[in-house]
Amino acid sequence: MHNTSKRALSLLLFVAAFLAGTVILAVSFFTNGSKWATYVANQHLYTKGNVISAGTVYDAKGKILARTEGSSRIYNDDPTVRAATLHAVGDTEGNIATGVHSIFQSELTGYNIVNGVYYLKQNFIGNDITLTLDSDVCATAYRALNGQKGTVGVYNYKEGNIVCMVSSPSYDPENKPDAETIAGDSYEGVYINRFLTGLYTPGSTFKIVTSAAALENLPDIYSQTFTCNGSFKIAGSDRGVICSGVHGTQNFESALNHSCNSAFAKIALEVGKTNLQKTVDQLGLTSSFEVDRVSIAKGKFDLSGAVDIDLGWAGIGQYTTQVNPCAMLSLVGAIANSGTAVKPYFVKSIVNYSGITTYSNSAQTRSDIKMSRELADSLKDLLRSNVKNYYGDYTFPGLTMCGKTGTAEVANKKDTALFVGFSSDESFPYAVIVIVEDCGSFGATTAIPIANKVLQALR
Amino acid sequence: MQSLRKIKPFRWGIELVLITIFQFISFSNVMLDAGDFSGKFFMIFAVFFAVEWAYTLLMRIFLKQTSFELEFIAFFLSSIGLSLVATLDTDFFESGDLDSPYYSGRQLMFIVAGLIGFIVLRWVIANADRVSKLRLPVAALSGLMLAANILLGEENNGARNWITFGGFSIQPSELVKVLFIFVGAATLDKLQTTRSIVKYMIYSIGCIGALFIMRDFGSAVVFFVTFLIITFMRSGDFRAIVLICIAAAVGALLIISFKPYVAGRFANYRHIWDDPYGAGMQQTRVLIYSASGGLFGLGLGKGMLRGTFAATTDLIFGMICEEYGLIIGFAVIVCFAAIVVYTVAGARGSRSSFYAIAACAASGLLLVQVALNVFGVTDLLPLTGVTLPFISRGGSSLICCWMLMAFIKSIDPRAYPKTLKETQALG
Repeated sequence: MHNTSKRALSLLLFVAAFLAGTVILAVSFFTNGSKWATYVANQHLYTKGNVISAGTVYDAKGKILARTEGSSRIYNDDPTVRAATLHAVGDTEGNIATGVHSIFQSELTGYNIVNGVYYLKQNFIGNDITLTLDSDVCATAYRALNGQKGTVGVYNYKEGNIVCMVSSPSYDPENKPDAETIAGDSYEGVYINRFLTGLYTPGSTFKIVTSAAALENLPDIYSQTFTCNGSFKIAGSDRGVICSGVHGTQNFESALNHSCNSAFAKIALEVGKTNLQKTVDQLGLTSSFEVDRVSIAKGKFDLSGAVDIDLGWAGIGQYTTQVNPCAMLSLVGAIANSGTAVKPYFVKSIVNYSGITTYSNSAQTRSDIKMSRELADSLKDLLRSNVKNYYGDYTFPGLTMCGKTGTAEVANKKDTALFVGFSSDESFPYAVIVIVEDCGSFGATTAIPIANKVLQALR
Repeated sequence: MQSLRKIKPFRWGIELVLITIFQFISFSNVMLDAGDFSGKFFMIFAVFFAVEWAYTLLMRIFLKQTSFELEFIAFFLSSIGLSLVATLDTDFFESGDLDSPYYSGRQLMFIVAGLIGFIVLRWVIANADRVSKLRLPVAALSGLMLAANILLGEENNGARNWITFGGFSIQPSELVKVLFIFVGAATLDKLQTTRSIVKYMIYSIGCIGALFIMRDFGSAVVFFVTFLIITFMRSGDFRAIVLICIAAAVGALLIISFKPYVAGRFANYRHIWDDPYGAGMQQTRVLIYSASGGLFGLGLGKGMLRGTFAATTDLIFGMICEEYGLIIGFAVIVCFAAIVVYTVAGARGSRSSFYAIAACAASGLLLVQVALNVFGVTDLLPLTGVTLPFISRGGSSLICCWMLMAFIKSIDPRAYPKTLKETQALG
């Protein structure tokens, strides 16, 4: 008798294991409940794949980008606005993973684990999301891209709000191309938001980073002179870095103005692998950060197997280097803002059906970008000089712009044209990035006019 | 752990009133949801209350029973099952496929049958001589039932564990659970000779083997764990348990390598979201709709999981979470853990080791079955298709669960205060 009662205690092990399983189950309901409940198979919330209860998505000026009427999701009246804001708003099928329809699905439907879908079914209204985007500016950018693949991003470098975020190719969600068309080459990567999760060869825009490394590591950089005779060669190597022209003798500033490959390949070698890598990391190009729950694609910069000539190519933004547009925009934002990088965001606020704000954004500093005020000011002067002395202020009428163009070589494709820059005017604190893929023309001729159009629309 | 004898029973009157209030709200919810058809359920719920109150009062008055915790847990769980099954009837009323409460009527009938089985089994096992005499016939009966199942069984959802008998479908494997514990506990209470152990081993392997042939893997696991509990309770030999487990694991591996379809049935375990419209349909729907219910539920009849295959049988935990809410859903789970704790406490004061072993085996069996069901439908364990005790729709399972409670009840000295002195002397 005594034995059996002692042995009975072993059953408590079963109870302990059982209760542990129960706790795991309870925790997973709290952590995954909103993901499960907002799954598209939930017939409480969806009919034929369309969410039946979801709030309205507004742009920064209060224009409706998407709303629910009956059992369907209705987008903005203007087809261009619909295509231009598609990647920010998202679709109803869940193909566009970075749109608010996907990332804020549970907020949009108003789901929470306490009430389940009870009130949603009662009221048929979810929470409203207000974006920081200006849909007119987005439409201007989308029109300016004119069907070419690429991306345009503009953000306020003091406040962090993204006012323009366009990724092309895109489509009109109320008139979606058929499955075969969308699988074709012209819609390659259509579901990807190139601005947040794309990676590009930076080309000459990377000379901003090489310049930063030079300013940090070469005390005599301003007194150096560079002679360009059309290419840069290293003794003992028959591979060279080709320059776009014969720039003759230049100082640091004019070499950047001319975007002289010979000079910047030489600077990269002088700075050295370790220091260049360090600068790239410090400027946040290889780290990931979150923009409204979307993880920004991490840039690639790896010199571990590079020989000297590779380092030269890396210094002018080629080799294996890739950067994310949002990270690049954030970097020039830091230069504009005296070394303080403000984190970009595109969701202004989420307000629930009782009027309570449940999510909001405000200016937040990125601690992963380390840039001194001196470095920022030096870079700002150099970038101002580019526009003033080389591209010409007439390309941005009425603005005081700083920036750098790029024309990146991409394997099996025509060149990518880039421009990244900012307005140094305190009353117009915006940074811009324009990337046009596979266009075969220069950053200055293709990207700058687009940047200008978008900024003029914003003024 | 404190012996049950020293723990004062809860006030049975208050318990009865509280549980009746819960059931009243639950049944009212069903009737409100049924709208014009609500009248059809009146008799069902009235009979349920009548049975519950009559049982409690009669036991109190005539047997002077003071503790009713176990029965109230069983009534609580049964009423949840009855309510959900009744909403199934409502769905059929609304679609015009039924005009009388067919499913809830049957469920009520099974609850009553289970209660009768519980009372009869309590009486049967109260006498040690009777247990000893019935041991062999019961073992033979269980063998017969499983053999009949293998020969006459019908395939249902991958397992051949049903036989149809005079218009009724029964699942012999459910009823054999009761017999299995009866035989196991009674055999081992006899002389602890090698021969008796070997005989019991052969019997157990026969039962579990039969379940494998029927492809009822969930029940096979339930039986196996019950077998382990009985063996350990009897021998206290931890090494033997480890050896048996190793042997079972080797056996399971052999089965999987020779019969790949066995592993194939569990291929979607932890991958349910890869195929939410095919192989992962049932589990994903349980998660989606349980989360939809929130803490307080959407109300009876207001769920959507009911549209999924096996909603009121295997998946009924999801229906509880969706319609009653997660709080009640988890309360249900905790009830079964409480039954085991109750048993462990009771084992100290039980009249003989037969009762201690039988009670531990019965409560352990229920707990394992709940774990396989609840964690199976929520993808924490592979889905094996066992029912949720007392709640899932179905007769054999419901009657079996009520009868298992008789084993557990047998250890509580407070259930028979009149004969307390006598039993203490025996113990």
